[in-house]
Amino acid sequence: MKNRNNLMDLEGFSEFRDAAQKQGILFFYNGYFSQNIIAAMADAVRYRIGSQDAKGSTTRRVFSTFIEMAQNIIHYSAENLTDENAVDREMRFGTVTIGRQGDSYFVVCGNVVPEHAVPILAEKLDSIRGMSMDEIKAAYKETLRSESESSSKGAGLGLLTMARDSTQPIEYSFVNLPEKGNAFFYLKAII
Amino acid sequence: MEDFYIPASAMSPEIDFRFSNNVLNIRGESYPENAAAFYGQILSQLALYLASAGSKKIEVNVALRYFNSSSTKILLRLFEMLNDAVSAGNDVTLNWYHDEEDDTILEFGEDLHSDYELLHFNPIAIPEA
Repeated sequence: MKNRNNLMDLEGFSEFRDAAQKQGILFFYNGYFSQNIIAAMADAVRYRIGSQDAKGSTTRRVFSTFIEMAQNIIHYSAENLTDENAVDREMRFGTVTIGRQGDSYFVVCGNVVPEHAVPILAEKLDSIRGMSMDEIKAAYKETLRSESESSSKGAGLGLLTMARDSTQPIEYSFVNLPEKGNAFFYLKAII
Repeated sequence: MEDFYIPASAMSPEIDFRFSNNVLNIRGESYPENAAAFYGQILSQLALYLASAGSKKIEVNVALRYFNSSSTKILLRLFEMLNDAVSAGNDVTLNWYHDEEDDTILEFGEDLHSDYELLHFNPIAIPEA
């Protein structure tokens, strides 16, 4: 039991793994996101969910939610290794996890966002949370037709895509960070 | 006009535009980091080809296993261009392949077809691999 507070010994790692298993965690990643990293994870995610004898449509929805969340991180996380205005070959920091509880799957992501983005995201998410599935589908269609290809990198449509693939309203929270000007943003979808 | 080919990658589809045979194939995955950048040249090649076409019988095969939200916008644009090509006197058949269990891709194709109804839209279910 030595060094428990300093280093993760194997017993500590075993506890970490057991705790993850109890939470139904099937996949967890905390680190830098790039397009190549996402493509590698995408394979792992498909096999992992596919091995859970989920329906094909469920696997697709989980996969779609995972990709939208991961690409949001590479486009919008405030912790980036690349230029703030880059649109390509971006590398940004975030966390994503996929798990199962009973017959449902959850996909959760987290990343740092600048404080000025908090009210904008909250407003978008509150609006989506208040919609019925029919309203989500209608808003999705409208956004698809109104957003120009070049303007946004696509966040509005991405959030609506997650909402469309979810069986319950998407959840979110913001946690204040000690460093000024930033907040931690969590997003959870249940499929 | 010369045929146009881009091989598939893990995150982007194979583009196999056989302009000489009037057969256009798109198949694979579509979640590039920046869909507008990836598809820019593809759509401009298509626009050039369609501008030169007048009364052709064009076959389009789209077999995407998955496409992300930013690729979806491009597909909308693609349907629109093909629909316009019918207005210009061409005959366009769109074979829309989808996984038999994947109702989202099927519904998306059907939705777009109701907006661009000049296309001969032909949904084709592929059995689970």
